[in-house]
Amino acid sequence: MSNQEVQQDTDRRAFLRNTGVIAAASTLVAGARPVVHAAEDNTIQVALVGCGGRGTGAASNALSVNNGPIKLVAMADVFDFKLKSSYEALAGQFKAQVDVPEERKFIGFDGYKRAMDCLKPGDVVVMASPPAFRWVMFKYAIERGLNVFMEKPVTVDGPTSKRMLELAKLSEEKNLKVAVGLMCRHCAARRELYDRIKDGQIGDILLMRAYRMAGPTGSAATEKKPANMSELLYQINRFHGFLWASGGGFSDFLIHNIDECCWMKDAWPVEAKASGGRHYRNNCVDQNFDTYSVEYTFADGTKMDLQGRTIPGCHDEFASYAHGTKGAAVISTAAHTPARCRIYNSQKMISKNLVWQYGPNEPNPYQEEWNHLIEAIRQDKPYNEAERGVIASVVTSMGRMAAHTGQVVTYDDMLNCEHEFAPGLEQLTLESPAPLQADAEGKYPVPQPGLLTNREY
Amino acid sequence: MFGFLALDCLEAKRISFGCLLGGLLAAGVGGLSFLDGSPSVLGGRLLADEPPAVNVPGGALPVDDVPGDDVPLVEVPDAAAKTEEEMKPYKEIIVDSDVTIEMLPIKGGKFLMGSPETESSREEDEGPQREVEISPFWMAKVEITWDAYDIWMSDLDIFRRQVDNRQPTLRDKLADTFSVSQPTKPYTDMTFGMGKRGFPAICMTQHSARTFCDWLSAKTGRYYRLPTEAEWEYACRAGTTTAYSFGDDPEQLDQYAWYSGNTEDGYAKVGRKKPNPWGLHDMHGNVAEWVLDQHTEDGYPEAEGPLRNPLEVPKTLYPRVVRGGGWDQDPEQLRSASREGSTEDWIAQDPQEPVSIWYLTDALHVGFRIVRPLDTPTAEEVKEKWGKSEPVQVDRPKPKEDH
Repeated sequence: MSNQEVQQDTDRRAFLRNTGVIAAASTLVAGARPVVHAAEDNTIQVALVGCGGRGTGAASNALSVNNGPIKLVAMADVFDFKLKSSYEALAGQFKAQVDVPEERKFIGFDGYKRAMDCLKPGDVVVMASPPAFRWVMFKYAIERGLNVFMEKPVTVDGPTSKRMLELAKLSEEKNLKVAVGLMCRHCAARRELYDRIKDGQIGDILLMRAYRMAGPTGSAATEKKPANMSELLYQINRFHGFLWASGGGFSDFLIHNIDECCWMKDAWPVEAKASGGRHYRNNCVDQNFDTYSVEYTFADGTKMDLQGRTIPGCHDEFASYAHGTKGAAVISTAAHTPARCRIYNSQKMISKNLVWQYGPNEPNPYQEEWNHLIEAIRQDKPYNEAERGVIASVVTSMGRMAAHTGQVVTYDDMLNCEHEFAPGLEQLTLESPAPLQADAEGKYPVPQPGLLTNREY
Repeated sequence: MFGFLALDCLEAKRISFGCLLGGLLAAGVGGLSFLDGSPSVLGGRLLADEPPAVNVPGGALPVDDVPGDDVPLVEVPDAAAKTEEEMKPYKEIIVDSDVTIEMLPIKGGKFLMGSPETESSREEDEGPQREVEISPFWMAKVEITWDAYDIWMSDLDIFRRQVDNRQPTLRDKLADTFSVSQPTKPYTDMTFGMGKRGFPAICMTQHSARTFCDWLSAKTGRYYRLPTEAEWEYACRAGTTTAYSFGDDPEQLDQYAWYSGNTEDGYAKVGRKKPNPWGLHDMHGNVAEWVLDQHTEDGYPEAEGPLRNPLEVPKTLYPRVVRGGGWDQDPEQLRSASREGSTEDWIAQDPQEPVSIWYLTDALHVGFRIVRPLDTPTAEEVKEKWGKSEPVQVDRPKPKEDH
């Protein structure tokens, strides 16, 4: 170690001691100056909880933020193989930025606590396990004074949404920086489009349309449990198949297009009515429908039409649009990025009516959301997306419940629905029974529109 | 779980038709009748190196389950031909789908490949002109549509069997092997909002187009591949020596092609414009079409005398050739002799690392059409020429779903 490195190391340790003191103080006084990473030589430590594809991607984005030292120090998952492959991918790509020795790799349902215990207040925990666990982990992160990056959706039912709204408030009081993985909000093209819509360039919005029709996705189509896996771990591994774990394919896949429309409208819908069904079931036992069609209504009467379909071989469309009194806009074109946002002076969206489009090179919003979070942490700027993330999740659940029950569901209906999909989640162990039980044939309860109207299954 | 070894072998080797046939040869077991050009070959027994088992999705078949006989091909009477004179147009059938692919016979012959230095807008890579001799083949009348491509890409044939609750035949299983070889499904809408039914498939890598052909070959029992660059230009010219197969006047393009002059918002349905003299549609425009060859930026290599079925086997991933120009390109890029080389810009927006070996996020003007040579090549010829390309494409590891 050179003298200079020794000096830096000493500075760093001194800094860490100091931050500990500040952290202790800040936990006592709500709204007090938080733990910040303003000093040039400090390192932000990251813990990854939930080491699947998205978690690994989020960690990769975190380690790619280029405004000061940042490293991954702990990882947790309930599956050793997921943690292992995630670690190998990250260590291979980021080398020295990945400092996760065996003793900081945690397998099991308490892994999130132990991984967060490796952090100091002001560091960042990535929550990328299935959405069901979000409130449990967020609660602990707040207790620990940690900044948070949490994947969407952040809730899947009424009771946990209320809980998360409380936690969101608490995190704001503690001045924690909280990011929610609705990365489209961080997309430069969409941000410019939003400004232009606010500027009146398509007039008043009358209708929004959102589509995600692109064949089977994620683990939504799930076949029977293999014999060599516990029921609980199977449901977590195939989390898109089970409403308690993820809100199903509906919540996990459609929330982005719903949220980007609501953003452009600058409002949240108050009501949803919907239809949907499961045409093809084949060998699948999951709780999802394979088509969804939702009409959302905003307080001013404006409608948002949402189409979701996971049947292969059909017309594909993965896009969002806004229609106004003076023109129309493409919010996203195909998947999330590049958005290729455009404005037309007509409802007929063809080239000769084009009045604006974002340039060809869009920054990757998955990276942008991390750049923005880490910058906010280092500069101690207000940054908390938790409440907005919960509301987006409730709005999403509202459409899902409308389809699954066949009833009109209002925002308040959804928030106050007492059906908690997975009560007692905070006490799960590897030996616990799964929150959803199969019948003797290995089949799970599915929605029954018109028959089950106050709950989804 | 005897299946995993065989599948790992597939993953590691990136199956290609040549690879499978090669394995067959190496194993030294039955099904070698293809060496004499019999079309039933493609149904030979497919054996992994170790252990002796048949590669199928989800595992491996114990060798005892495989009948000793060749797997029968899918019967299409008009597709049978032993000589050029016997070649007829036919509709290839894709079992477990409603899709057929119309194939037109292209008689063998000689032509002058490339453009003369006097041709307007000529690029250096289009010469020197060379005399080329082409053996007979069938060529798809139109570009491969999403309707056909999606069967392979989205496993629609497998899906239909599940819906109808039918067990796969051995031929199905052979074909399924090539579906399993494409483990990553696109996380997006690859039509980019431009439409699907009847529209040309786009945004595939050359490897993807090659694998589609391997799948179709296994699916039908007839050997399909991408055309060579020479075959493509021969078919495009259809006996003409002008800039386009209808003459030299770009003003007439609108009757024959979709290009920047008459499209703005995307590709068009295939087969809606006039065909060329040999009945092929959209050779000019709509989507540029993959051929097998490496792009040689400085022009064609020097060669002595007439070349017979030339192919520049790719040695690098970029640039490889697409032909005919696409809907967003200008008249000069649609000329019969015009060549375009692929670039890494075609995959610039792939968010994954490493980038996909299947999808080109930014090649919205690139598709392909297929050919079937009259003379089915031997396994060795496939391995050394028609099915060969370097570097070998290796997919990212497939996510593991259980222990």
